Amino acid sequence: MERAKSSANIPASFRDPSGFLFYRDGLLYRQINLTYKENYDHLMSSGLYETLTDGALLLAHQEVDIEAAKPDKAYKIIKPEAISFISYPYEWSFSQLKDAALVRLEIQKRSLEFGMSLKDSSAYNIQFRKGRPIFVDTLSFEKYREGSPWVAYRQFCQHFLAPLTLMTYRDIRLNQLLRVHIDGVPLDLASSLLPFRTRLKFPLLSHLHLHAKSQKHFAHKAIDMSGRKVSRLSFLGLIDNLESAVRKLKWRVQRTEWANYYEDTNYSEEALSHKKEIVARFLEETTPKMVWDLGANVGLFSRIASKRRAQVIAFDIDPAAVEKNYLECLKEGETNILPLLLDLTDPSPGIGWENAERESLLERGPADAVLALALVHHLAISNNLPLEKIADFFSKICHWLIIEFVPKSDSQVQRLLSTREDIFPDYRESVFENEFQKFFVILNCVRIRDSERRVYFMERRPK
Amino acid sequence: MTLLLLSLFFFIFPQKAYAYLDPGTGSFFLQVLLAALLGGLFAIKIFWSKIRIFLGEMLSRRKKYGKGEK
Repeated sequence: MERAKSSANIPASFRDPSGFLFYRDGLLYRQINLTYKENYDHLMSSGLYETLTDGALLLAHQEVDIEAAKPDKAYKIIKPEAISFISYPYEWSFSQLKDAALVRLEIQKRSLEFGMSLKDSSAYNIQFRKGRPIFVDTLSFEKYREGSPWVAYRQFCQHFLAPLTLMTYRDIRLNQLLRVHIDGVPLDLASSLLPFRTRLKFPLLSHLHLHAKSQKHFAHKAIDMSGRKVSRLSFLGLIDNLESAVRKLKWRVQRTEWANYYEDTNYSEEALSHKKEIVARFLEETTPKMVWDLGANVGLFSRIASKRRAQVIAFDIDPAAVEKNYLECLKEGETNILPLLLDLTDPSPGIGWENAERESLLERGPADAVLALALVHHLAISNNLPLEKIADFFSKICHWLIIEFVPKSDSQVQRLLSTREDIFPDYRESVFENEFQKFFVILNCVRIRDSERRVYFMERRPK
Repeated sequence: MTLLLLSLFFFIFPQKAYAYLDPGTGSFFLQVLLAALLGGLFAIKIFWSKIRIFLGEMLSRRKKYGKGEK
């Protein structure tokens, strides 16, 4: 993937005085400040770093000898292992967020064994590498002082426990609250949204409902905090209880419109296998490193790309499809597919301070190749998007485009039109080709056997 | 239940005018209270698991011993 950023600090890492991330010559580095020296040295010398990196829980790094971005504050510069695609908790499925929470707690437990503790619980410090959650912030560790509480407790509840409980007990779509609340779901909001039966479960009653009440009671009050200690055993008890609370949260994937899509298509067996053949052939011609499969569903076509060694981001709008896809990746041990939740008509925006702490989808591109199969009719007809706008958008996110055009005569398009007036006189193959040719060169086009659909292979015109 | 726990909570931690604290205070105090309780339960849990391991080992030894006799 191209990276336009050549030399700049990363806007996501300004809060922590221990150091920051920066780009130089297109590569990502982390400066460790002198103020973090003692903690960093302990992390590296105590054996904790090896334990966590060996267990694929913490992102490995190398110390490098390059000029610091802010030399007056610098202790060391490290180069973390690369993450091919940065994703955010509001793009994760239920089990992805749950696994991320469990990684967090596991790291906290192991840190205590080596005399350290995590000073934050931000879900944004977890990323997916080789399909599994991994902790990426080397500066989150601090020396554990006997008796001190877990400073990251509130954040853990807001970033993980609250959204997971809401997804389990209220509605799976409530992880989208994380897109609005960058520091996790406020506990009073979670408490008011959760059904009464969650009060009957002790961990949820205490860590969410009572926690919210306590926050409200103590807000704007002056309190003597000295002398309040949490023993090591109590600390472990708290982590153990949070872990069992998270483990007990389960979401059974419901039958949804999309998650069972392949049981309900108008493809004949021959058409489907021919479509797979065409996509495979076009992918062979490009050998992309990074593929975005848009409207990937459970990843049927993503796997054609991933088997050709591409890193595939399998986006879908349906939480159930993303969940099924992720569980399939775990089951099959697939490491180069990352299923993510995305509404293409409203892709993740830049959020946080200056709209720059978390990147928009466009900022995280472009991909080498995009798969847009059985997608355009949904954008054009269900969402009233003119074909020119769709072509323009695709030209911003990829170099190669493998795209399927589904004509009006197709029964799936007829289904979309059955409940609405046909205000789409321009939704035709010839218009589609003209509009896309403004941005792309059409290299190939194959009609799918036993169907009226066509798959196009395009390359973006040089700008 | 909620009211009972909270009133117990405020009884244990009287408020003093030392410093203005952010809303994290509520989280901190709940944590202190919960951790004390959960620490105790955790100790029992560890104790039980040790007993179970001990009994498990005893049983497997007996089985081995029993087999040896035959």
